[in-house]
Amino acid sequence: MERFAGLLQQLPREQGEMLRALHLAQEELGWISRDAIRLIARHLRVSEAQVYGPATFYAEFRHSPPPKTLVTWCSGPSCRVVGGDRVRRIFEAEFGCRLGENTPDDELGLWLGQCNGTCEKAPMVWVNGRVVGPLSMVDTVKLARGLKAGDDPIEWPERPIKIAPATFLEAEATYGSEHGLDGSVEGTG
Amino acid sequence: MSSAYEELREAAELSAAPRRSPSRPLVRVDLSTSSIAAEADRLWEALEPLAAEHEAELMRVGTLGLSWLEPVVEVERPDLSAAAAGGGAVVYGPVRPEQAAEFLSAALGDNPAEDAAQWLIGARTPTAGVPALADHPFWGPQERRLMRVMGVIDPESIDEAIAEGAYEALDRAVTMDPMAICDLVLAAGVGGRGGGGFPAGQKWKFLLGAPGPTKYLVCNADEGDPGAFVNRVLMESDPHLVIEGMAIAGKATGSDYGFIYIRDEYPLSIARMELALAQARERGVLGENIFGSGFDFDLEITRGAGSYVCGEETGLIASVEGIRGMPKIRPPFPAQKGVFSEPSNVNNTETYANVPLIIQHGDAWYRQFGTESDPGTKMFSISGSLERPGILEVPFGMGMDDLLLGCGGGPPDGHTPKGIQPGGPLGGLLPASDLGLRLERPPFTERGVLLGSGGLILFDERASAVDLTKYFSEFCEDESCGRCTTCHGGSQRLVEVLERIMHGDGREEDLERIGVIDKTLQNANCLHGQFTPYAVRGLVNYFRDELDTHIADKRDPARVAPGLTRYLITDQSDPRLEQAAELCPTSCISRAPLEPGDADESDGDAGEDAAEALGDWQIHAPSCIHCDVCREVAPESIRVEDRFAATLSVI
Repeated sequence: MERFAGLLQQLPREQGEMLRALHLAQEELGWISRDAIRLIARHLRVSEAQVYGPATFYAEFRHSPPPKTLVTWCSGPSCRVVGGDRVRRIFEAEFGCRLGENTPDDELGLWLGQCNGTCEKAPMVWVNGRVVGPLSMVDTVKLARGLKAGDDPIEWPERPIKIAPATFLEAEATYGSEHGLDGSVEGTG
Repeated sequence: MSSAYEELREAAELSAAPRRSPSRPLVRVDLSTSSIAAEADRLWEALEPLAAEHEAELMRVGTLGLSWLEPVVEVERPDLSAAAAGGGAVVYGPVRPEQAAEFLSAALGDNPAEDAAQWLIGARTPTAGVPALADHPFWGPQERRLMRVMGVIDPESIDEAIAEGAYEALDRAVTMDPMAICDLVLAAGVGGRGGGGFPAGQKWKFLLGAPGPTKYLVCNADEGDPGAFVNRVLMESDPHLVIEGMAIAGKATGSDYGFIYIRDEYPLSIARMELALAQARERGVLGENIFGSGFDFDLEITRGAGSYVCGEETGLIASVEGIRGMPKIRPPFPAQKGVFSEPSNVNNTETYANVPLIIQHGDAWYRQFGTESDPGTKMFSISGSLERPGILEVPFGMGMDDLLLGCGGGPPDGHTPKGIQPGGPLGGLLPASDLGLRLERPPFTERGVLLGSGGLILFDERASAVDLTKYFSEFCEDESCGRCTTCHGGSQRLVEVLERIMHGDGREEDLERIGVIDKTLQNANCLHGQFTPYAVRGLVNYFRDELDTHIADKRDPARVAPGLTRYLITDQSDPRLEQAAELCPTSCISRAPLEPGDADESDGDAGEDAAEALGDWQIHAPSCIHCDVCREVAPESIRVEDRFAATLSVI
């Protein structure tokens, strides 16, 4: 918080700096807390309401601490036409939380993301900002269970990304054992 | 050419020479958002030590547009003559990080065309024994003007951009009369590339004529349309083209300051533009007294924060000002009262990027391609159910089938096209029979849809038009700024109606209701609300049969709607059902142990084996989330059925 307050002082005292200040708060603190809003208001010489307005208007700004592992689900149409909505339902069922929520222990979260145009990876999610896709539904279940089991999300997508949709057996043959995930499932061939 | 520019150009050419005419092998690695998503960054790390061993130079480039083949690597072999097999600039992909060593040895060996055949895509410059990239169906029909140096130069080096001619047009423009620039841009006929198509030259004249010493330019890089990534590619692969275009627009409109509003979902674009701006300032192509002409111009980047309506120009202006990005009613237009109430001009990134080309080559050259209503070329990002999704630049007026089926290869695995979604969530839906439409605004407008900013999504028979419409309506509802009830309330009602239909509660009067909502939404204050019903109008006009089937027969032909379908096990003997049960996220596939008495009733043999004493596999329908995992595992023994079909074939 002190570091954020110091960095905030470097911004000009203009309302035009609002988004920059809010981004700074989110980068430094992980989310926009009430204290951060108060500090920004004081620095930009506007009312707290004038900070609270934009802070809640824009989807990127979070108002609760982020989970340890964040799965951002792409809601784009390219994902949708190849089963994106099923991916969401699988994560919701596996994590036990709805879209936009964290698990009660804040270990995992499933949040809504907007298309950033890596549509050739559809259907996809971002795991802590890293694109994982194209996901078959089997991949999705394994990814969700792996993350639940505490797999390192940064190291997870250590596998060939498929160019064409593969069947389950092909998928197993290509990277079944390298998954390092749920080992209980094995291809029968 | 001013002496200042000449000096700059010479220095840049000198500095870029080792890469423009290399003496040792050059390995270009596509490092853009798409390729990094395919682990191009890891590939780069793997290649770094290897390239040194091979005495080759590794080089960061933007994208060539071949997104489905990422990570793409281009190898240029000055050590082999172009006549030798693989001696020119040859494009390879996808190169997996773990294949780095194998790939590099092959591509830098004596016979790359054969040894690296598994990665070979084509030769960008003539190379014996390698098919030319120009003959590739994705590449052939392209007319790469904006994309000329994309994937060839390092987007993080201003020298390479200048050596390829960047800022030459600016050098010419700073000595031109502002009105003459506006006239030239108007004569070229470049229209707003965000989809509006309003002549840029005309818009500039409004700002030029506006009073006051302070005028602002705004670049709209808040590319919110899902499935559109034209601006992202421009900023990531050739940022200086955008900067130059804005500086020329500054000269033409009498403005000396601009904002580039980039959406927060594009961190790499933000980073590359920031770097490009710093380099441009350092070289004096931005700042005071540019090229000794007395013209001052500078730019700053505003980082968006995830709001679709900020793509609307008045919403964008509000967002730059640091308040909620809610659109305002026009007039006053931005040219009268824009950023901080000063006269302003908002254009799309791609619109600005076209300007240097027009100054450089003239309006006649610009109009060589394209149509009367839409001259020039357009970048399109194509995705969805396609063999070859990616980004390309083609002349306006090309057939949509040539683009999506020709370049894009159509749907993979023998699926058939069902429809097209142009122009983002507000663009509407078209049936596959409209694939022959020419890619320019009028034929699309006639069909009641928008060509939009360049995103085209093809979907096949597996996708449900009703589900897609519901998605777009949800998107519009979610992104509505909330100012007018017509928009946020209207889109909410629309979603409710569609949701009900997808859950099997469609009513006959729903069509009439959709009509009322459509009419109401047309009275919304800004384009967001006014265009929200485009998708549902497309559904009613072009996918009426499907909608009727949902409402009257309670059936979803695509079998996507959870409320209208159910999963059934058709073959109890399939051993893969075990895995299906294991993977089911809600554990709704199970079989209960048989009571001792049951065994005798069902089958004489089953009772004898204790391990077999389990009942039939069953799917507990209320907890099934229709995720399709089980069907992926056991496609032959699990089927999706219509929930309300008249005759259910239960085995």
